[in-house]
Amino acid sequence: MKLSAMRYLTREGLRNVWQNRFMSVASVAVLAACLLLTGLSYLALANVERAFKWVYGQNMVVVFAKTDCTDEQITAMGDALKALENVEKTEFLSKEETLEKYKDSLPEETYASLQGEDNPMPDAYLVTFRDLENFDETVAQIKAIDGVDDASYDGNIAATLRTVRRIALEVGLGVVVLLLVVSLFIIANTIKLTVYNRRLEIYIMRSVGATGAFIRVPFMVEGMTLGILSGGVAFFFVWLLYVKLLGLLPQTTALFTLVPFKEVWGVLIVGFLVIGMLTGMLGSAIATGKYLHKEGSEKT
Amino acid sequence: MIEFRGVYKKYGNGTEALQDVNIRIDDGEFVFIVGASGAGKSTFLKLIMHEETATAGEVIVNNYKFSRLKRRDIPYLRRTMGVVFQDFRLINTMTVFDNVAFAMRVTGATRREIRRRVPYILQLVGLQDHARHYPKELSGGEQQRVGLARALVNNPSLIIADEPTGNVDPERARDIVELLTEINRRGTTVLMVTHEHSLVRKFAQRTITISDGRVVSDTGEKKAAVTPIGEKSPVLLGGDLL
Repeated sequence: MKLSAMRYLTREGLRNVWQNRFMSVASVAVLAACLLLTGLSYLALANVERAFKWVYGQNMVVVFAKTDCTDEQITAMGDALKALENVEKTEFLSKEETLEKYKDSLPEETYASLQGEDNPMPDAYLVTFRDLENFDETVAQIKAIDGVDDASYDGNIAATLRTVRRIALEVGLGVVVLLLVVSLFIIANTIKLTVYNRRLEIYIMRSVGATGAFIRVPFMVEGMTLGILSGGVAFFFVWLLYVKLLGLLPQTTALFTLVPFKEVWGVLIVGFLVIGMLTGMLGSAIATGKYLHKEGSEKT
Repeated sequence: MIEFRGVYKKYGNGTEALQDVNIRIDDGEFVFIVGASGAGKSTFLKLIMHEETATAGEVIVNNYKFSRLKRRDIPYLRRTMGVVFQDFRLINTMTVFDNVAFAMRVTGATRREIRRRVPYILQLVGLQDHARHYPKELSGGEQQRVGLARALVNNPSLIIADEPTGNVDPERARDIVELLTEINRRGTTVLMVTHEHSLVRKFAQRTITISDGRVVSDTGEKKAAVTPIGEKSPVLLGGDLL
């Protein structure tokens, strides 16, 4: 197709968007809302993922030895821990060091009275894992080691986070798929309206020998334009909600910091534009396909 | 050249619109198609334009054999013909110039070609002073001349005029047929559907009569136009037509 023809067809497509502006705004609003939710779901997932890693990363397991263990038993226990496949490193904490960790949370006299022989703390190892996915399995292996009294970790947070991650993924995907179908329907109807409004032009185009592609291009341009506009609008609102609104929250109260926007904006904008354009083009194909394939005469 | 060989057309609702039609129209002929409403004239034209396909038989138009026609060839078949409609079918939001230019644009003509060709064609149909007007600002006869200009602009070898005088007063109707006659005289085949017998008599061209889906008479005559081009005829303003 010639460049001049492409220019003409692009202009026609943009004219469609403007002439049909009420439905265009409706389409952009619905598709942008869909993309916005998609983006927010993505951000939620990214943050849950980050929290997941943070929790596992922070909760190195403290393995307590039984209080009646001899020094030899404790050394053997350390060797056994190091021998586990999923253990990256171990750090020995003497009972004095363990007690030291509670210094701030205990009343001063109590802390003083627990020194020396009266120290109730057991010797312990601080264990860092290699692979966080096999967390539970490794904890079970540790508990089976001779002389281990307990392995302290916050399993509940991990379990909760795992549930949150699953729900966020499932609900997010469900909502996004549903909204995409709705958007597709709205865009297809918007373009159908244009096709209907321009049926006389289409009939004349056909009767003077315009090719199918030539007739379809303006509607494709219309669909893509609606998609790109939706992508832009959605990106603006994601930025507004994520950066401006969440930025107002006092960061110190958060357990962990949010994924910075500069790490995700690229994925978001490319994703929005690509999904928007594909939805627009698909909507256009649905709207024009059946109508323009018809061989018979269209009543005008 | 148009050729129908044993053509039948039956619609989905059971209507038998055409039955065993055998016709040959050579290049350069001027033919009137006459018949009552529902006789099958429209179906006949739709088959030529490939808006409908024959149920049986063979249709050949401008060397395109329809039984072997591929979908992608249809636009190119249609570029060999220009169509004039009874209800003009002009786009009211476009000027006269743009209505004519539109037919060129959609076949991929450049702006330069359009700027050169459209004023020329408008002059041929006597509308050079109305290029910037909108269809609604013109009389019926003038609107039909815009329709004719649009049909002519891509230089087709066949003009199909479907009751082109149906919405035009009798005086202007004669002008339209005179224009078509002049176009024909310069080598373009013209096929005009009408039920105005006065025009048919006056212009005395080959006349095919269709009734109940059958060709009931075909004068087969190939006379030159007997009506001289009147002073009012706008074609005199142009030089060579196509």
